[in-house]
Amino acid sequence: MSCGTIPGVAIIPVSWSGLRTDMLTQRLSNIVFALVIVAAAVWFAIEAQGFKAAGLLASSGLPSKFFPQLTLGFIILCAIVVIALYGTKKYAGSDVASTVYKNATEARQGLAVLAVAVASYIIWSKFGFIIMAVLMGPLCLVAMGIRSPKIYIVVLLLTGFVYVVFTQLLNIRLV
Amino acid sequence: MLANTEALFQAVTQLSQPITLLLLVLGIVIGLIIGILPGLGPPIAIALALPFTFYLDPVPSIILLLGIYSAAIYGGSISAIAVGIPGTGAAIATVQDGHKMFSAGRGGEALGFSLTGSIFGGLVSVVCLAFIAPLLAEFAVRFGPRENLAISVFGLMVVVRVAGQSLSKGLLMGALGLFLTTWGLDELNGTERYTFGSYHLYEGLPLVPFLVGLFAMSEVFISAERAHHKIQFNQSSLKVKLPGWSTLMKMKDVLLRSSLIGTVIGIIPGEGAAVGAFFAYSEAKRRSKKPEAFGTGIPEGIVAPETANNATVGGALVPTLTLGVPGSPAAAVLLGALIIQGLSPGTQLFVEHPDLMYAIFIGLFAINILMIFIGLVAIRFAARLIMVPTSVIVPTVMLLSFVGVYSVSNSFFNVGVMLGAGILGYVVRKLGYSIAPLSIGFVLGPILENSLRQSLTLADGSVQEFFNTPIGLTIYAALALTILWGPVSGRFKRRQIS
Repeated sequence: MSCGTIPGVAIIPVSWSGLRTDMLTQRLSNIVFALVIVAAAVWFAIEAQGFKAAGLLASSGLPSKFFPQLTLGFIILCAIVVIALYGTKKYAGSDVASTVYKNATEARQGLAVLAVAVASYIIWSKFGFIIMAVLMGPLCLVAMGIRSPKIYIVVLLLTGFVYVVFTQLLNIRLV
Repeated sequence: MLANTEALFQAVTQLSQPITLLLLVLGIVIGLIIGILPGLGPPIAIALALPFTFYLDPVPSIILLLGIYSAAIYGGSISAIAVGIPGTGAAIATVQDGHKMFSAGRGGEALGFSLTGSIFGGLVSVVCLAFIAPLLAEFAVRFGPRENLAISVFGLMVVVRVAGQSLSKGLLMGALGLFLTTWGLDELNGTERYTFGSYHLYEGLPLVPFLVGLFAMSEVFISAERAHHKIQFNQSSLKVKLPGWSTLMKMKDVLLRSSLIGTVIGIIPGEGAAVGAFFAYSEAKRRSKKPEAFGTGIPEGIVAPETANNATVGGALVPTLTLGVPGSPAAAVLLGALIIQGLSPGTQLFVEHPDLMYAIFIGLFAINILMIFIGLVAIRFAARLIMVPTSVIVPTVMLLSFVGVYSVSNSFFNVGVMLGAGILGYVVRKLGYSIAPLSIGFVLGPILENSLRQSLTLADGSVQEFFNTPIGLTIYAALALTILWGPVSGRFKRRQIS
């Protein structure tokens, strides 16, 4: 599978058997990110049009939408400059050819730990702190591909230590 | 404030409280540990401790955070010297000569020089802070909305300029930080802005979870990528040998010059410890009779950057305390701590809380003195800390962030904000953006918006009136010079070369 119209953007075959980190070039990622920023900023700017002040204070000073729309306009401008810079071949930023992740292992570990953080948040809100705390450490270690049982034990001991410090010393209810 | 003996007495009384003394020592220990651990720097260390300050009075909480700030910068040099991996960005310049000395079997000497330089730089900067800050605060009493706007724009722009390679990326992050502060009820007229029907957002995005997410959580995700990297080094060289009096006398010029460089660079918003260290290193090299020896493992190559990077701590506090403009990302987090305590950084802080100001000056001085003794002990345990696997640090910091942020107000919403900020921080860092402008934009946002709206209302549509302020114009002129200096000096250098 090969296609590509943006200069310098490497389109790489996608394989589900393993992450291909070379498909995520800085150029492509930055352009996509800046486009997302522009789209989000436009949406927020339109939303700001609907800001309504309450009662007597409604006419005091500048409207509430002024500052958000000012910053959003600036964000859009900067994002367009970023797109233009990454779109040109001779961008002095010099990271155009590099990739976001050095290799598949790094990408997998970073993203898996991010997923564990999100999962831990959900587990805490649904099943309580204890279950989350017990699962968080080992899940992180699994996500990072750690096999040493010693590290699992150390992490669980540290989890217990954090729990005792917060609940016993600082009297914080962790539910 | 200078002659306020009552406030001075109050400050000493508060500092001599057992809890404050305990937190002072604890702050140094935590700072050293986090500084030594490669990857975790002062902003992360302060951000992780920030939730605890909710349960403390202003003086003990600020002392805790100052202890962490100073010690984390020094701690970074230990791993820089021992394994060639700087624990913090501030210690990058120390690697060149420090690690060379360590590899040559002179690790003890190298650690002694770094400790001595750090303490000296820290002490000089505290003295400068104690003299400059009250004078600047007295001057800043004249500041109105237009001047506040000018100084906020200056602070943000200078941070943007020095953070990362791309100006457009820095500006984007700064503007994003400012925009995120507009969420919640408008302070001036109560309008709901981006609350999405959630009462949690009425007060906007909470500061502590946002900063913890941005610094600590994003670092957790990045550290997870290199969980299997192993560190190997010779532990036998980890015994400190403090330099003698005659050696210090030979280096007095380097010590004094680097202290002043660090303090001045710390005062300039955004420049930070790393820039101060590199600047002092290059100055020491330029003035040396043997510049070619730099980088081969010489004491001056350690003393210069280490003195300067610790001197930036006192310097960074000058604009933070007097103008409410943080001098560095770590100072931005510190500013957040003051806001949490219900204190408004700026001139009013000196008028209303002179005891706190004295406590900061004296406390920071005491921190630097105590760091000599605690530092000597910490180095003995440094080997064990450096060898702590990243795989242990990642889940521990993640759990600490979750629990710390939750405990601020027993709110899952806070944890959600932290997670969102962490993911945002991770994504932008992976794409080559700096999170420094984002964090400083987020701290400066409310001041900037209020002063801009007030200035525009006062100007009543007149551009001339908007800029009709000598102080403001001076600040804008300084900003223009700062921005133009880079390209102008670059062109000048190119001409000289050609």
